[in-house]
Amino acid sequence: TLRLIYTTVTVQRKNVGASGPEKYTETFIKKQIEEFNLGKRHLANMMGEDPETFTQEDIDKAIAYLFPSGLFDKRARPMMKHPTEIFPEQRKIQWGEDGRPFHFLFYTGKQAYYSVMHETYEKLLNVQKYQDQLTAQDLPPQKEKRNLAGSRWLTKIELEEMLLEKLSDDDYSRFVQLLQKLMTLPCGDIEEKYIQKFTKEVPVQLQKVVIEPLKYDERGVAFSTGEGIRKTARATATVYDNGTGKVTVNGIDILHYFPVLQDREQLLFPFQFLDRVGKHDMVCTVSGGGRSAQAGAIRLASAKALRSFVTEKEVEFMRQAGLLTLDPRVKERKKPGQEGARRKFTWKKR
Amino acid sequence: LRRLTQVRWSRYNPSFLEPEVNKELYQKRPEELSEKEKETLEFKAVRPIKAAPPTLSSSVFSDPMISKFTNMMMKHGNKVLARSLMAQTLEAIKRKQLEKYHKAPEDEKETIECNPYVIFHQALKNCQPIIGLSSVTKGGKTYQVPVPLKDNRKRFLAMKWLITECRENKNRRTMMPEKLSQELLQAFNNEGPIIKKKHVLHKMAEANRAYAHFRWW
Repeated sequence: TLRLIYTTVTVQRKNVGASGPEKYTETFIKKQIEEFNLGKRHLANMMGEDPETFTQEDIDKAIAYLFPSGLFDKRARPMMKHPTEIFPEQRKIQWGEDGRPFHFLFYTGKQAYYSVMHETYEKLLNVQKYQDQLTAQDLPPQKEKRNLAGSRWLTKIELEEMLLEKLSDDDYSRFVQLLQKLMTLPCGDIEEKYIQKFTKEVPVQLQKVVIEPLKYDERGVAFSTGEGIRKTARATATVYDNGTGKVTVNGIDILHYFPVLQDREQLLFPFQFLDRVGKHDMVCTVSGGGRSAQAGAIRLASAKALRSFVTEKEVEFMRQAGLLTLDPRVKERKKPGQEGARRKFTWKKR
Repeated sequence: LRRLTQVRWSRYNPSFLEPEVNKELYQKRPEELSEKEKETLEFKAVRPIKAAPPTLSSSVFSDPMISKFTNMMMKHGNKVLARSLMAQTLEAIKRKQLEKYHKAPEDEKETIECNPYVIFHQALKNCQPIIGLSSVTKGGKTYQVPVPLKDNRKRFLAMKWLITECRENKNRRTMMPEKLSQELLQAFNNEGPIIKKKHVLHKMAEANRAYAHFRWW
């Protein structure tokens, strides 16, 4: 006798999650790009602008005007960007019709990473061969010092984007070690181009900040202002030139406002560092925070004001002494289930 | 965002470097700088730097060792009291040394050290142990294994011993600065209970020499 075996629909359905994220074909992406370009021209027409010179910024402004949205998350608002920015780059299928993979390192699992490692090592061997050739011909090895400070290696995330593969921390550190070994050898321009693929330019920190010029008040005395923040204290300071070294806080002399020596030392720190202790007058206002926070805020404000009086080199020295950075340390919040920010409740065995 | 936040994390990005407050380094002209210093300067020009803490200052009067010691002496965040105690200790040391100086004969006057900062540093140096003991469990039993100590650990132990010694073994009537100055002068001359404690630790390490091979780090 035959027995009917009942199965539910769910068992027969395919496992949806196993195939991974949605895969886009090349034709699909091409179509999206064509649609985007057409849409860009239509949008330019709608806005009354020239379709040839319609930049991405203009597109963003137009979309924000046509589809106003009050949503807080910028990523949830309507956007129109080039398909390469919206659809993440995906690897094409690595094997042919017969099932044989194209790349010889496919079965390692991380083919791009290992191929890059092999290439770098090949360059290293090349450099060593070149060095040996030079020593055989009795020529001195070329020693060119590349500017190490101006560039940095790609971060792990950037490398992952470049190789389209997931890397582990260990893999990344090994790769960086190999590159550093290649760089330290006296190789010169041979491998320069190859190394540049994996470096990024880092601009000098100082260039990011604009130093304000000096202002002159009614008496003809030069002055400049600065603002400082520390924890919850907010301070504004005006530093006057040709002074005796008098410091007034909220209309009160510092000896009365800051009875503690440590705070007064902090106020004088920028002036003492620049050897201008008795040359400037200071008037400041401060509110909020505690005793030490107010002192720190005034210190930052006076350092920022002093930047206009001083040469660029000295501004760089002040930055390296830690006078111009905003202190990000604030009081840590109390968490539920604990007594304080870190302290836990007393553990009782029963 | 990292999934696993470390227990000891700081509000600064890990790429931030420590600030260098010493004025003399910055006042050197470019020719006098050595290769290494030039490299570090170039490196620092590109990296962001942390803000200087409120205890650090470029003036002559701020000493990192003294501020560390004041922080260890502080109770319940009362920095004002700790700092005044420290100032009174240094004053007491200076007074005692000056007394000795004026009473001493001519030829000994040069050997007496009057600078309290020098005495403080030398005393701490004399109190620092060279090896310490660390417990290693092997086969169910815990052995005390002699282990070389790091610089930070040595400094911490010296300061900790000094403070606990002064807090516990003093008479109810004596003030902390007096007792501290006494201990510091004794340590400066390589005598006193803290030096004894250091020697005891060294002897224990020497006695447990047989277990030294249990150390794997």
